[in-house]
Amino acid sequence: MADSGSRTLRIREFPIEENPPKNYLNHERGLMSWLFTLDHKRIGLMYLASIVIAFFLGGMLAVGLRTELWTPAGTFIDADTYNHIFTLHGVIMVFLFIIPSIPAALGNIFLPIMLGAKDVAFPRLNLASFWVYSLGAVFALYSIAHGGVDTGWTFYTPYSTETGSAVISMTLGAFIMGFSSIMTGVNFIATIHKMRSPGMSWGRMPLFLWSLYATSIIQVLATPVLGITLLLLVMERALGIGIFDPALGGDPVLYQHFFWFYSHPAVYIMIVPAFGIISELITTFSRKVIFGYWAIALSSLAIAFIGFLVWGHHMFVSGQSELSSVVFSFLTFFVGIPTGIKVLNWVTTLYRGSISLKTPMLYAMIFLILFTIGGVTGIMLGALSVNVHLHDTYYVVAHFHYVMMGGTVFAFLGGLHYWWPKIFGKMYNEFWAKVSAVILFIAFNVTFLPQFVMGSQGMPRRYFNYIEEFQVMHQISTVGSWMLGVGFIIMAIYLVHSLYKGEKAPSNPWGGRTLEWMTASPPIHHNFEHTPVIIHGPYDHHKPIREFRLGIAGSDNGHGHHTNGDGAHTEEVESGDQTGSR
Amino acid sequence: MANNSGAAEKEAHLAHHFVDSEQQFEASKLGMWVFLVTEILFFGGLFVAYIVYRSWHPDLFEQAAMTLDTTLGAVNTGVLIVSSLTIVLAVRAAQINDQRQQLIMLGSTIALAITFMVVKYFEYASKFEAGMLPAGLYTYEGIEHELAPVFYSIYYMLTGLHGIHVIIGIGLISWLMVNAAKGTYHSGYFTPIEIVALYWHLVDIIWIFLFPLLYLIE
Amino acid sequence: MSLHHVLPLKTMIGTAVALFVLTILTVAVYYIDFPDPLNTIVALGIATVKAALVCMFFMGLYWDTKFNTLVLLSSLLFFLIMIGIILLDTLFRDAPFQIYG
Repeated sequence: MADSGSRTLRIREFPIEENPPKNYLNHERGLMSWLFTLDHKRIGLMYLASIVIAFFLGGMLAVGLRTELWTPAGTFIDADTYNHIFTLHGVIMVFLFIIPSIPAALGNIFLPIMLGAKDVAFPRLNLASFWVYSLGAVFALYSIAHGGVDTGWTFYTPYSTETGSAVISMTLGAFIMGFSSIMTGVNFIATIHKMRSPGMSWGRMPLFLWSLYATSIIQVLATPVLGITLLLLVMERALGIGIFDPALGGDPVLYQHFFWFYSHPAVYIMIVPAFGIISELITTFSRKVIFGYWAIALSSLAIAFIGFLVWGHHMFVSGQSELSSVVFSFLTFFVGIPTGIKVLNWVTTLYRGSISLKTPMLYAMIFLILFTIGGVTGIMLGALSVNVHLHDTYYVVAHFHYVMMGGTVFAFLGGLHYWWPKIFGKMYNEFWAKVSAVILFIAFNVTFLPQFVMGSQGMPRRYFNYIEEFQVMHQISTVGSWMLGVGFIIMAIYLVHSLYKGEKAPSNPWGGRTLEWMTASPPIHHNFEHTPVIIHGPYDHHKPIREFRLGIAGSDNGHGHHTNGDGAHTEEVESGDQTGSR
Repeated sequence: MANNSGAAEKEAHLAHHFVDSEQQFEASKLGMWVFLVTEILFFGGLFVAYIVYRSWHPDLFEQAAMTLDTTLGAVNTGVLIVSSLTIVLAVRAAQINDQRQQLIMLGSTIALAITFMVVKYFEYASKFEAGMLPAGLYTYEGIEHELAPVFYSIYYMLTGLHGIHVIIGIGLISWLMVNAAKGTYHSGYFTPIEIVALYWHLVDIIWIFLFPLLYLIE
Repeated sequence: MSLHHVLPLKTMIGTAVALFVLTILTVAVYYIDFPDPLNTIVALGIATVKAALVCMFFMGLYWDTKFNTLVLLSSLLFFLIMIGIILLDTLFRDAPFQIYG
């Protein structure tokens, strides 16, 4: 609010124009209009395409790994190749897919719309972030072509300073992608603080945005440490600076501290946005106000903070001091509290809701099951004594796949199905979508449940060979990975089909109350015809939908091309404290 | 925000997605502060390495710091302080619409930044000559400590990364000068000068800590 | 500092002078021999005061919205978390923890 004396806001209900001929997808044409666009929706879509490609690559590598493990000895690739493949699977899935997946793709598309803004605060920085990400991907591909990397995605010293593989280019790639992540984080924080439309107070922000806010904070605080770590690693390899390399008097455990100071909070960069999506899905498909709005919103921030205190639980057997192991183990249990608060609130929201089990909701249910298993096994791993036994076994592999894939990927798929009609303006086939969701759920458990059993029996991770006693378990797991492949192929088919043959999507197919449903499907170039005004909470399902379609009336707002609105419902609202922009 | 946006004339510098200049300015500045946080933590990693190694080998740091030239370090500290003053006066010049003073102050900042780098060059050159290079290339024999090379690694990483930031700063301020010469900045719009100044002050602050930590150990 | 706040010239010059005085002070203190930890504490204390002066007046936090100060302080908090917890390891590497008996 600058120094204006007037404190009233003329607002009016504007009916939504269904399927407008000009939308963000077609208002400009040509490759250049995409590559150099400043529109957050297009940038988000380019991110979406990139991460789908990355997921496909990483997934193919995973199926290759599982297939190799069909027999105890070599099956069809040799041991060195195997080391390269699991490293690439990790690097691609972590840096190219999962970190940008929800924030940079779905978040980019929906964050400004859900705030009622025309764009993010810094559109050029947003585009730069995409290009920097692409540059990082080029470095990663370059290292694959020039010898690959066999260190595992963690690049632990001293092996990473000794191995003959392309560690420098791969770490530079990760370093560069870190900048992309920072740019997205800076942009989102400034956007959430400064770009909210009138009435969008912090308490009316959709929970997806709260989770993106928490994620951005982690990105901004943790990623620079990854940057300096990888830079030091590059210098270690190139010049032998001796900070991490024990042969030169350095300390490899210090490397692990540096690395996990980023990489542990990074797992919250991966999972917290997923929490946001689940909050949206559960409340929309239960037709009910979310239970414990502030508890969910603030627990995201709590997770972001506590996530910085626990990195040493990756290092219980590294030789760090016993004192720090005990402290880290103790602190680790605290992460369970805000996470438990979230799960409780989601389940309580379901209670007495009128649940409609559409595909996105199906994914939310799958998430609740899989993520809870992943979370509880994480608590077990956080216990110092248990961890020493389970460290670097398949139990750990199963745990983080339950959290990362069962949690983040399934939430991402839920979000993708939830917002697919909004992004592309087309409905997918509900039947096949459900079939594929069920296949993925079963296949996921077939793949990873046996890994818990193997791990607790002592099967170490990253091994090329194994003893014959584990063969049945490995084979079940491998079959599961093939089934996962089938599930994703079905999904690819019906989603692509929907783009060409799908029905046109209405503006609000699920009856959502957040702002993205108050604009056309697909949205127009500037998101809204008129700056939206918010007078209700994001999940007020008990209030009539027309009260959510309010915009500022008058010719001096919007974008100047709608001089006289044709809506019926005009009212005046005290602005003042409802103005969220400051 | 909304009701006075009609009155706010759409000026050339105002991007379409902002309501008014105030919002644009505040958003840019918040963004810059958040970016400075990432810079602090970026350097923070190196400071952690410094603290850990110093806590392990305090005697090494005492000996090795003797090889650094305190006078040159102090001179450079002064140079950066004056440059911080000049760039803040450049911001002020934009606020009072004084284009000539803008150019003078930005120019002096660049000159001081270059002075800093020249002093740094002489420091580095004398170290290189004596063989005080980062660990892998280290040949100096004046310090009797097996980890002496690691000290120089940390020294070069800290001052080198800082030097790179100074060079980036020179580039940014030159870009400001080009724009200032065209009269881009005035009391209604000086966001780029303001945020580059914030960056430049951070570079100054990092040196304020580097100076006692590297040169003044005894 | 909002868009309309003009930086006061006297304050800027005063800040620079104070920074110079503190720089001279820190070098002077270097030549005085304090007992061991005190030296480092005094040097870092002066550096912190100098940094605070730069932040408050040159960077305008004194006039600015308090949130930007919070942003700055958060970076310090997380730096302290990082170094604090890492020192829990590096300073106690060889110390057996009594809980194991």
